[in-house]
Amino acid sequence: MTPLAGRGVGIGWRPEISGFVAELPGLRFVEVVAESLPHSGEPPEALARLLAAGVAVVPHGVKLSLGGAEPVDPHRVEHLAQAARAVNAPLVSEHIAYVRAGGVEAGHLLPLPRSREAVDAVVANVARTTAELDVPLALEPIAALFEWPDDELTEAEFLTEILERTDALLLLDIANVYANALNRGEDPMDLLNRLPLERMAYVHVAGGRIHGGRYHDTHTDPVPGEVLELLGELCARQRPPAILLERDGHYPPAASLRAELDALSAATGYPVITAAPVT
Amino acid sequence: MSGGTLTGSDLTGGGLARRQEELVRALVAGAAMPAGFDAGAVAATQTALLRKRAEDVARTWPRLAASAGAGQWPRVFSAWAAGHAPLGSLRDGWDYARANPPGDAAATRELALRELLWTYDGENSPRPRRGPAARLHSGELLIRWRGRALTFRTR
Repeated sequence: MTPLAGRGVGIGWRPEISGFVAELPGLRFVEVVAESLPHSGEPPEALARLLAAGVAVVPHGVKLSLGGAEPVDPHRVEHLAQAARAVNAPLVSEHIAYVRAGGVEAGHLLPLPRSREAVDAVVANVARTTAELDVPLALEPIAALFEWPDDELTEAEFLTEILERTDALLLLDIANVYANALNRGEDPMDLLNRLPLERMAYVHVAGGRIHGGRYHDTHTDPVPGEVLELLGELCARQRPPAILLERDGHYPPAASLRAELDALSAATGYPVITAAPVT
Repeated sequence: MSGGTLTGSDLTGGGLARRQEELVRALVAGAAMPAGFDAGAVAATQTALLRKRAEDVARTWPRLAASAGAGQWPRVFSAWAAGHAPLGSLRDGWDYARANPPGDAAATRELALRELLWTYDGENSPRPRRGPAARLHSGELLIRWRGRALTFRTR
């Protein structure tokens, strides 16, 4: 049984929208930025209330740098494992990306060259991480505006090999799939048709916008209709066990967020979470 | 290729650590961009990274960001931050404020409160100051007591 089965539509918990999230009557799961959880292990009070109400909390790491050639920092791994224990998480997630090298922080997720050496680096770092975790790890492919010049593997080959060699689950970000395909002039279905979709633990959806002729996965804009359509196409092939809306700033009025959550329900067929569940 | 050559070790694998470091230094610390990358796509990435940093710093230093004027913060912060590798929003904002002392009262008060609670030498991560202390800032008494700031108007 996949860890988030039956959890349906969720939302990325952020302090700025904790009041909104607390009042979603049908909510069954949230994600929290793992690095934002305190080292002491005590989750913030608002999250503790969600946990008490039976909402699953998934720590989502953004700074582990699993794709770095350098070994992951054991302290960061320990914090992620501790965060998972503190919220009794069914799983944790991180990115197929690197965020620092040689002591320089990028401040964001950077793409990897799609090379065998990079696959090896990710596999080694995932092994170092899962050795400390009590729960499964899901890996999220990122959106990037640029690619490395000398890729050896297609994106599908690169991701599939990492998943096969690590036993990790897939956190598919459908907006990232859309963004990369648009910016590369590819058909997003080509990637969806080649990924091991049965490995999906859950799916991310986020907003973005076109700026300077490129699609930017901002998480601060509305979810485009094209992304919702792609989500529908994904569900037609393989419905993900759960789906989560990410919003990271420029928070809209509550009615707009509710409408986006309802749109995720409509696209996936999962119950609406903005109204009390029918019993 | 847009100039430069790939060496044998690049083509046969190896050198991932060095290549990752070269790229991140070029993206955020002003180093030369390694050969072969799409210049337009990389420039768009740099702009997006700076905007995200500006937003992160604005969350940590809301008064400092507001002091730039409505809608101006991403532009003025990005102009300063290009070539300064990110050190986290607390240090990024602090370094910006020291390089560009804010003129408005709310931003200088925000900086004074940070200076009251933390010691920061500009080189290492800020550390919480220990023990009680008091400062007078623009007619306001700022007290550090048990790691927190208490403020009292004196006029």
